[in-house]
Amino acid sequence: MISIEYYLLLSAFMFCAGVVGVLVRRNAIVVFMCIELMLNAVNLTLITFSAYFGDPRGQVLVFFVMVVAAAEAAVGLAIVIALFRNKLTVNIDEINILKW
Amino acid sequence: MIEQILSNMWYIRPEIALTITCLAAILADVFFKRKALVAGVVLGGLLASGVLLMEQYGVSAPAFSHMLAVDPFSVYFRGVILVTAMFVVLFSLSSVEINNPRLRVGEYYALIVAMTLGMTLMAGSSNMLMMYLSLELTSLSSYILAGFTKNAPASAEASLKYVIFGALSSGLMLYGISILYGLTGSLDIYAINHVLMTMGANRLALLIAGVLIMAGFGYKISAVPFHFWTPDVYEGAPVTITAFLSVASKAAGFSMLMRFMKVTFIDSTFAGPVGTWALIPGFEFTNILIVLSVLTMTLGNLVAVWQKNVKRLLAYSSIAHAGYMLMGLVVLGNDGFAAVLIYFVIYMFMNLGAFFVVMLVSNKTGSEHIDTYKGLGSRAPLLSVAMAIFLVSLTGLPPTAGFIGKLYLFAALINAKMIWLAIVGALNSVVSLYYYVLIFRNMFLREGTGSTEPLKFALSDNIILFLLLIPTLVLGLYFTPLVQFAQYSVAMFGVR
Amino acid sequence: MASYIPIFLMLAAAAGLGIILLTLHQVLGPKHPTEEKLSTYESGMSPIRTARERFSVKYYMVAVLFILFDIEVVFLYPWAVNFRALGVFGYVEMMIFIVILLVGYYYILRKGALKWD
Repeated sequence: MISIEYYLLLSAFMFCAGVVGVLVRRNAIVVFMCIELMLNAVNLTLITFSAYFGDPRGQVLVFFVMVVAAAEAAVGLAIVIALFRNKLTVNIDEINILKW
Repeated sequence: MIEQILSNMWYIRPEIALTITCLAAILADVFFKRKALVAGVVLGGLLASGVLLMEQYGVSAPAFSHMLAVDPFSVYFRGVILVTAMFVVLFSLSSVEINNPRLRVGEYYALIVAMTLGMTLMAGSSNMLMMYLSLELTSLSSYILAGFTKNAPASAEASLKYVIFGALSSGLMLYGISILYGLTGSLDIYAINHVLMTMGANRLALLIAGVLIMAGFGYKISAVPFHFWTPDVYEGAPVTITAFLSVASKAAGFSMLMRFMKVTFIDSTFAGPVGTWALIPGFEFTNILIVLSVLTMTLGNLVAVWQKNVKRLLAYSSIAHAGYMLMGLVVLGNDGFAAVLIYFVIYMFMNLGAFFVVMLVSNKTGSEHIDTYKGLGSRAPLLSVAMAIFLVSLTGLPPTAGFIGKLYLFAALINAKMIWLAIVGALNSVVSLYYYVLIFRNMFLREGTGSTEPLKFALSDNIILFLLLIPTLVLGLYFTPLVQFAQYSVAMFGVR
Repeated sequence: MASYIPIFLMLAAAAGLGIILLTLHQVLGPKHPTEEKLSTYESGMSPIRTARERFSVKYYMVAVLFILFDIEVVFLYPWAVNFRALGVFGYVEMMIFIVILLVGYYYILRKGALKWD
């Protein structure tokens, strides 16, 4: 039996990797992948606690997170495509009409 | 179990009405392809939902095994959200931007209803699962609406920034939820409070969870430092959606934050005077709120001073207003919460009014730049006077409603012996006066450079303008019913 | 930890064998490349053109819609497992859910999002 700390550390690491990715990556598609990584880290935490408590509610939340993540990815990709048709780039640094 | 679910259906009848309206709007658009028809369906649905909501006045009960709380507090906020949604649909009917023949407007109205549904659920959520789901329903619809005029590069860019910030902060919030679930073994905020009170929890972990969850709320109410999306999205989105986001979305975020704070972190053994409460000992959530509040109003007001685009200026002003309202939460008392509730109704009328004027001006001139307002006083006198009243109200000067809103906020602060915070708020109002006066000066004291012919507006536009203008003035003089209603509505299910 | 040692030995042996065989093959094997041999192997068919091209945006549309409808199945699993316990009520509830999805499906069908050309 692997103790609960290892799962939590792994998910915390995944979450941090996702956050750093969102903050430093410049390609909009990669940013969305990093957000998925964050959500999956959350799912791992929830599943871990759910198994630890023997309580199914955490797993139910995971179902909903998965569905919402898919919807978010769909909307995000559609917006990236719409923007790409306008500007022919997915680099966040070049998306800069609006500032201050 | 099943009987319980069926009998609880009564509590979500306004939401069921909204769901049916959303589906009906989609089908009406696909079958008949008539914009006016879709708008009619949506307005009817919103009205029906409002009527069903009124039946819940005075009810205080949990629904669906504590997934939702139906109480005066949620009824109040759902009312604000539904009224805002109706005004936004009315705005959309006369917006040139939205009625561009190249856009497919059917989806637009359906998404407004979906967003309204998400926000009404946010007002009642008493389980973190419902909180997350309703927040995401609101966000996903608003991402698309913000980029609805997708051929305008600014709109698509606003939408992308919105989606990235939204996804990041909802991810942070979700991680906070998972930590809180790990600490207490429950997602129901009443049960979480019970566990925290009886068994306690690691203070550091609790603080981290609180801060992470605050990121999600902060994004929704656009508090500094989670505000970065706000100016860009408000500038890039169609004006109607900007108005909707700045009022309804903020109201929903505040209602969820207030319920979460008052139920989850309240110290149920606190024996102070009636109408005040304390948070769990050792948990510094109020200090976080004070810092957020001061940062939010100061940054919002200072940056607004430099803005040249009126929509963007109003975006920063709405950030500042979120800061004012956060002060009401810091008080930890019923009068503070009641002040926020009063402020929201007033803010709804004055802010929607200001955005409506911006929309009408941009309908006629195609520009939102502050120079467009030069000489507007002689070209469109009624509109300019209305705008001036909305701006005075936003500043918080008598005899307008904005003064009453600020008065109750500051009074609550002074009663709670937080005079220095009230002073910071008052100083901020002085700063805000400066940039509101800029618009005022351009309208009345500057000569227009371009065309000087008078602007004519349709009768329907003038009626909507008066619907917003009259409450802004009347609530400044006759506000007792609103105050009583707000004080009554502070009651939340199961909380003293 | 000691009980894991056989696994590590096994891993080392497997990796070592793989590396040795590949190196020996590179060093000792004869090399007579022809154009036919260097071309992409695709189930015995001769390749028409390079595979490293951008996909049509039309494909993206279908993919996104597929994900959305595919992921909703996640809600059908818990219901299917508890089908008997939930009975008629659960069935009706699930049908309402499916009808809402069908409205969405009908919408994308009428809007022509699934038409390829």
